[in-house]
Amino acid sequence: MTAFSALVGVTLRGLLNRRRIILMTLLAGIPVLLGLFVYLRGGRPDVDRVLGILIVQTVMPLVALVLGTAALGSEIEDGTAVYLLAKPVPRWQVALAKIVVAVLLTAALVVPSVILTGLLIGRGSSEAIGVTLAFAFGCFVGCTAYSSAFVALSAFTSRALVLGLAYVLLWEGSLGGLLKGTRFLSIRQATLGLVDAAGGEVGGEPLAVDISLVVLTSVIVGAFLLASWKLARFEVRGGD
Amino acid sequence: MTEPIAPNEPAAPAPAVAAAPAIVPALAVEHVSRWYGNVVAVNDISFALGPGVTGLLGPNGAGKSTLLHMMAGLLQPSAGSVLVEGETAWRRPAMYSRIGIVPEREAVHSYLTGREFVLLNARLQGVADPAGATARAIATVELTDAADRAIGGYSKGMRQRAKLAGALVHEPTVLLLDEPFNGMDPRQRLHMMGLLREMAAAGKTILFSSHILEEVERLADAILVVHSGRLAAAGDFRSIRRLMTDRPHTFTVRSSDDRRLAAALLAEPSIFGVELVDGLVSIRTAQYGAFTRVLPRVARDAGITLYEVAPTDDSLESVFGYLVRR
Repeated sequence: MTAFSALVGVTLRGLLNRRRIILMTLLAGIPVLLGLFVYLRGGRPDVDRVLGILIVQTVMPLVALVLGTAALGSEIEDGTAVYLLAKPVPRWQVALAKIVVAVLLTAALVVPSVILTGLLIGRGSSEAIGVTLAFAFGCFVGCTAYSSAFVALSAFTSRALVLGLAYVLLWEGSLGGLLKGTRFLSIRQATLGLVDAAGGEVGGEPLAVDISLVVLTSVIVGAFLLASWKLARFEVRGGD
Repeated sequence: MTEPIAPNEPAAPAPAVAAAPAIVPALAVEHVSRWYGNVVAVNDISFALGPGVTGLLGPNGAGKSTLLHMMAGLLQPSAGSVLVEGETAWRRPAMYSRIGIVPEREAVHSYLTGREFVLLNARLQGVADPAGATARAIATVELTDAADRAIGGYSKGMRQRAKLAGALVHEPTVLLLDEPFNGMDPRQRLHMMGLLREMAAAGKTILFSSHILEEVERLADAILVVHSGRLAAAGDFRSIRRLMTDRPHTFTVRSSDDRRLAAALLAEPSIFGVELVDGLVSIRTAQYGAFTRVLPRVARDAGITLYEVAPTDDSLESVFGYLVRR
């Protein structure tokens, strides 16, 4: 347990100590600022649309991408991962610590952003509160899936940031609008499916709740297993 | 202190020690190769190490880091195996409680202080009293004064010492150091050498890599010479030093009468070639030692004044090349 908490501690400090956490806080603050603006102008009824587009489609995947790839990938890149991996600690614990920190930090930025934005836009009406809570719940699970996936991706490639961005923008964004079939491999669609089932009323045809749960669970468990598998076979990059 | 190093004889480790037959060497490398695509970085290397300081010498790019990474379990051998105390190093994290690693790459978690970094290592190693072990390791490397400053502000030498403290904190029996003296000033270098010697005397197995002959000469009891991925020489340092010195050498000499000097030198058995080029005498000799005695004698007897004597191929690269071809 000492080893695990040491891993969590150093990962947390690594992520909190950099400029990127400030940038991510600003990013998560944009919807809140917009919410504040809408609130001052008298509010809007369509909380779900704003939360869906602004947070589920944009802020959540981006924050998860930046923090998830940084949690493990940046240490592999600069070589400091060796100090964590060359220890008598099972590698799955390293993978789990990285994922836990990335998930909690991402959720700590995204979930409050959902709640504040939802309450501001809906002016605290009971209907808006219900929708906001549904989004907050869905986004917490979505954050977990995105962050786990991006931590795992960074265990496999040094281009995790670019590949992750391509997944979010091209696969989930452009292709998702054109080809219906891609929604079964889309964390965004599964998150929206979950939000919808929780009473969030997302537009279009959301995924059924059972499928959404299967997708999200497979992503989270699969990411943990893959990251553990890869770290167990970790090889230093470079050298002569 | 000649410890068992048996080049290319992995089947019979530690033949030099007359003790129990089943001695397990602290570190054994058995027919290990590593290639990246078509590039062979390490080519069929075997040796075994016991307590003492061993220097891993070779020019940059010879495969020293690749070899050390495989010994540290951070790279999978393409063929062969690395054994730490008789068990494989690859995919066995438990072995890290026995070995300490000082990687060459400079990056350390720069946002941690020296003390936090060493404490992190102690906690990951699961030592009984992490804070106490950390304080001891920091004192050992003489970093106490700077221990509570962030590593980001450390000099290169301080960083090396912080890394060493992190590698020592769990008192490993085997210590692997990749170019540990890089960036250290002479005083720090001496201190670190003293430290490593003490630990070797206490029974630890220490392997450090270097591309600088003098570092290895001053510290190592035994030596492994790696060149182009192959083990060029292994064994007691002095015998290898002699090999390096007593190899064919080429010298150029400028004198008051080159032609007469050349003729006189050809009569000497230790000289096997003399050439007149561009107003210089180029002399090839079998033995460095003999030549340094013969040349002044011949010149004096013939009444010739020597203006300049220069070795032409004394780079480390050519020394390694010779050892490999030998």
